[in-house]
Amino acid sequence: MNITKTLDAKGLACPMPIVRTKKTIDTINSGEVLEVLVTDKGALNDFTAWAASGGHTIVEQKEEDGVLFFYIQKA
Amino acid sequence: MSNKVAIIASNGGLFDAYKVFNIATAAAASEKEVAIFFTFEGLNLIHKQGMHGLEMPAGKEHFAEGFANSGVPAIPQLVEMAQELGVKFIACQMTMDVMGLTKADFVEDIEVGGAVTFLEFAKDAAPTLTF
Repeated sequence: MNITKTLDAKGLACPMPIVRTKKTIDTINSGEVLEVLVTDKGALNDFTAWAASGGHTIVEQKEEDGVLFFYIQKA
Repeated sequence: MSNKVAIIASNGGLFDAYKVFNIATAAAASEKEVAIFFTFEGLNLIHKQGMHGLEMPAGKEHFAEGFANSGVPAIPQLVEMAQELGVKFIACQMTMDVMGLTKADFVEDIEVGGAVTFLEFAKDAAPTLTF
């Protein structure tokens, strides 16, 4: 997977991970992939809903040592 | 499906501020057009000085530590974020008159209007939320 940009949103609480992700995804092109690192547990459901609202695709997600990784392909 | 979220902020405490601005910024970050109508105590939330010293409900002061430890942004930061994301702030003219407040008492770039200004925005919004 080709990652265009990485956003480290660890330690941030709702709604900042989503807000930062929105602002960052605005800076990449359609089809490119944004990697987001989050520790807010609410993000698990929030990112799925958020991606759907913008038509973006979560191509992969994983959890490592309490950190959630999302790979979001921009619509 | 409506692409608008309309919010009425009518209470002026710290918890109220988080409810209002978390939903507003989350909605705006999800491609929604968002407007907040600030009325009565809700005006505190965008008052230049007031928003820096919003109070917790009586007896809930012990949550201060939780706020400090959980990475929750400060209210002025959320206000700025909301405006950056295009959330429209409408301050209630009638309440401002009653409380002796002018536009200069509030953060920049707000609209001042009456109930009809809000209703016109909210007529095709879903959801409309009241806090």
